[in-house]
Amino acid sequence: MIELNHLRDNEHSIIMIGSHPQILQSMLDFDFLSGKPTPSVKAIIGSGRKLEKFFWGRKECLIPVYANVNLIPTKIKEQINLFINVSSGRRALSSTPETIAALPNLRGGVIFAENLPEKHAIEIWKTIRQAHGKEKNLFIIGPASVGILIPGKLKLGAIGGIENNQLIAAHLFTSGNTAVLCSSGGMTNELINQLARQNIGLSFALAFGGDRFPILTPESAFLTAEQDAETKQIVYFGELGGTDEYRLAELIKEKKITKPIIAYIAGSVAGVFAEPPQFGHAKALAQKGEETAAAKKTALRDAGALVGESYEEFINLIKNNIMSGDNQTQNHEDLSNRKHTLFTCGISGDKDGAPTILNEELTKIAEKMSYPEMIISILLGQKPKSKELVDFTELVLKLLTDHGPCVSGAVNTMITTRAGKDLVSSLCSGLLTIGDRFGGAINEAANNWLKGAGEQIDPAVFVENCASTQKHIAGIGHKKYSSRQPDPRVKMILNFSQSLSQKTFTDFTLKIEKITLMKKANLILNVDGAVAAVMLDLLKEKEGYDNSALSELVAAEFFNALFVLSRSVGFVGHYLDQRRLDEGLFRLPEDEVANLDWSG
Amino acid sequence: MPRVKLFEHNAKRIVCKRLFFPYNGIAVTPQTDIDSVIKTLAYDKKYVVKVDQGVKKRFKNGLVVLNIGRAEIKTTLDNLKAKGFDYFLIEEFVAHNADEEKYLCLEREREGITASVSATGGVDIENNAGAIKKYLLDDAGCEAVAKQIGLDLKTITKLEQIFDDCYFSFLEINPLVVSNNIPYFLDMAAQVDSAGQFFANHAWNETDIVPNNKKTPQENAVAVLKKNSQASFSLSVINPDGAIFLLLSGGGGSLVVADEVYNLGYADKLANYGEYSGNPNEEETYFYAKQVLSLLKNSKSDKKIIIIGGGVANFTDVRVTFRGIIRALDEEKDALSAQGGSASGGNKSGVKIFVRRGGPGQTEGLAMMKEFLEKNNLCGGVYGPELPLQEIVKLAIK
Repeated sequence: MIELNHLRDNEHSIIMIGSHPQILQSMLDFDFLSGKPTPSVKAIIGSGRKLEKFFWGRKECLIPVYANVNLIPTKIKEQINLFINVSSGRRALSSTPETIAALPNLRGGVIFAENLPEKHAIEIWKTIRQAHGKEKNLFIIGPASVGILIPGKLKLGAIGGIENNQLIAAHLFTSGNTAVLCSSGGMTNELINQLARQNIGLSFALAFGGDRFPILTPESAFLTAEQDAETKQIVYFGELGGTDEYRLAELIKEKKITKPIIAYIAGSVAGVFAEPPQFGHAKALAQKGEETAAAKKTALRDAGALVGESYEEFINLIKNNIMSGDNQTQNHEDLSNRKHTLFTCGISGDKDGAPTILNEELTKIAEKMSYPEMIISILLGQKPKSKELVDFTELVLKLLTDHGPCVSGAVNTMITTRAGKDLVSSLCSGLLTIGDRFGGAINEAANNWLKGAGEQIDPAVFVENCASTQKHIAGIGHKKYSSRQPDPRVKMILNFSQSLSQKTFTDFTLKIEKITLMKKANLILNVDGAVAAVMLDLLKEKEGYDNSALSELVAAEFFNALFVLSRSVGFVGHYLDQRRLDEGLFRLPEDEVANLDWSG
Repeated sequence: MPRVKLFEHNAKRIVCKRLFFPYNGIAVTPQTDIDSVIKTLAYDKKYVVKVDQGVKKRFKNGLVVLNIGRAEIKTTLDNLKAKGFDYFLIEEFVAHNADEEKYLCLEREREGITASVSATGGVDIENNAGAIKKYLLDDAGCEAVAKQIGLDLKTITKLEQIFDDCYFSFLEINPLVVSNNIPYFLDMAAQVDSAGQFFANHAWNETDIVPNNKKTPQENAVAVLKKNSQASFSLSVINPDGAIFLLLSGGGGSLVVADEVYNLGYADKLANYGEYSGNPNEEETYFYAKQVLSLLKNSKSDKKIIIIGGGVANFTDVRVTFRGIIRALDEEKDALSAQGGSASGGNKSGVKIFVRRGGPGQTEGLAMMKEFLEKNNLCGGVYGPELPLQEIVKLAIK
């Protein structure tokens, strides 16, 4: 059973499992047109991009995408109370119980897929029946369901349409007292629209799906309507096949359902076939006499329901027995002709001609922020919370500015300058040298420490794994410095983690160094490794990044950005320096190149 | 997705293989070389020949021939073929007394797999319905069933396991004869859940499923379309020379429209039932509409109409699907105008098309359809949700 009051009285946080942008957009349009302050859909479980763009009214909003339900941040996980599963029939069995297990405050959901094997539907039904033993009353509607709709409160699924003008035409924002229950999704919407034309308001509408074993049974759907204080009468559209209507007839006779029911059972046409075919829905095949439309109509009528012999009579019964309300069309903001933007920008903008950084005017930022603070704000897309991070950024930028003329990036810059090229070409030539072997090791080191400390790998095992695959550990090792002659820059960097309470990554790094130093004196923690470790610790402890947020920074090469930025100053310096000295075109002396002797 | 019937031969092969029982039945299909099959049969054995096409009440309709020798098989098959069947099964005849015939029927139900059993089975099972007892196949249920039938518990448990693992929905064995704890499945009717094929670990595939009886090329084309699409399609011919052609959308809405034809007393004029749903694309809808139009062209009826009907769709795009239908109508517009009237060259009134539909993109979709139909003098009326769904049938038939 569904506790409709709970769904009416609470704001919803919904995840969509799988991707169906039109259905999701229609749910957001419903929220917006209902006057909700924020979109109810909080996350998408899918693959591809990290964020998906949708309309919120005429503006846009972004909804985060996670590869699986366990990757949703805990805070959001705890909010989620409903799901809409639009993944395929093959996937529904694996994705649904996983969702139930991962979301502590889940109240229910809808499975949209057709082609879910009967066995799987029954398994899901049994899973939630067991969950009932606990205090939460969980419902799952479907499979093959367009969902549930409560006017102005909840649209979970395609129900009511996917275009905003459909939602408005069907009066989905003002509630009434008639429930629509239906196996067929299309007919649910047809009836919603016919009721709207008669100015009959909906208390709720629900399509339980045309499969043989709907997880939310027709019986539960009727009992939900019976117990719902808003519902005064029930409109029901059923089809041939199955025996649910006999159960309903019993419930009516037992007075477990007392509200008036106006019903139609479609499928009389089956009578013209010598051997009736499978109609549109999986359940729509009458194999026994009791499953025919005529027999089921009689059973319901005998129990006391108002049953239309024809569909027309059914519609007339609705018109003659349900009072119209003053369910007038409201004025809604025009949502037609919306266009998605081509880009989204999260760091800066232009407000009436004045540049802004993180929504603040640049001139104001320039007054109150130091340059390192501005830089780290723009790199992270948010203002730093701690002074430590700003100070550390400043130190890193200083320490990485230059490392003499002999390193390969500087050499390339100088050669390009001496070839007479311009500033930007010379700078780019230096920048293009940055990679795994030169300057690009901070990111790889961050990846190492994040993986090692994050997965709590034993440092000895970690080193052994690298050694056995003959992999060099980024962040460890130096050409010049060794344990006998340590790198003074590393000491300055490590000082920063002294103020931290956990320093998980720094500790892990030092344990690694201890092991590698036993192998060779120059397998020492280098600047790249130290910067990576301390930056990870600061972001985690002072800025609130969790491991998954940190691995996103690694994936985006944030850690290398510090080197690129800082060393650009060095490269520009070398360019200007060479221009001052003007030594002319460089040519490598021939005796600096060994020619391989191919003859022998 | 619906339940589908397995060939009896294939069902027995699947079940016996997993029970480690031998099964020597021979399937006869239109491709089988019957003479070479007969050569493999023994002179001194008796055989059973039966139609294996998922038809009910075979015995009562004379579609099972018992206890015949090798020499009679060919004539027997020819006789059965003459009745219009294509698939047969030859098995060794198992001699037994009528009172040894038992009944066992497994079915997948909400609470679990159930077994209906009776110690008195055979062709008259329906008259002995009172003797049938039904058990849920939990541990106690399996034990009770084993006792009733005289089979050991292990075999019943294993049978239940096979039923479950192979995504069976229904498995009726009647009669079942048990001798020395070996079950003989004399007749078997099995249905599997077509949605379970992917999970059934290659237990069965499309070739094990009985094709629907005598389909038209158009129905077959739609079956293939359905198989290869995310969307859903169905087409069944009711009367090849019918006058009312249905091009409907939505499982429920299509039933309402077809019912209304029936309710108004025009069932004998109904040419077909069918529907598309689940947001098919333009190409698929075009192809589907072509099949319905092809049926229409083949009909010998004097007067013909098409009802393009459906409820107010949730997510099926009316623009896109109507674009496909219009393309199909456009290709056949000359044929459609030339239909109707008397064959001797009387006035050819042409086919009239009646439309009622709603859903995403309905404004553009309906306008497009109206413009096309009016331009080509095919228009009987184009309506949106303002017209109650069943009314389109009245307008069309009038």
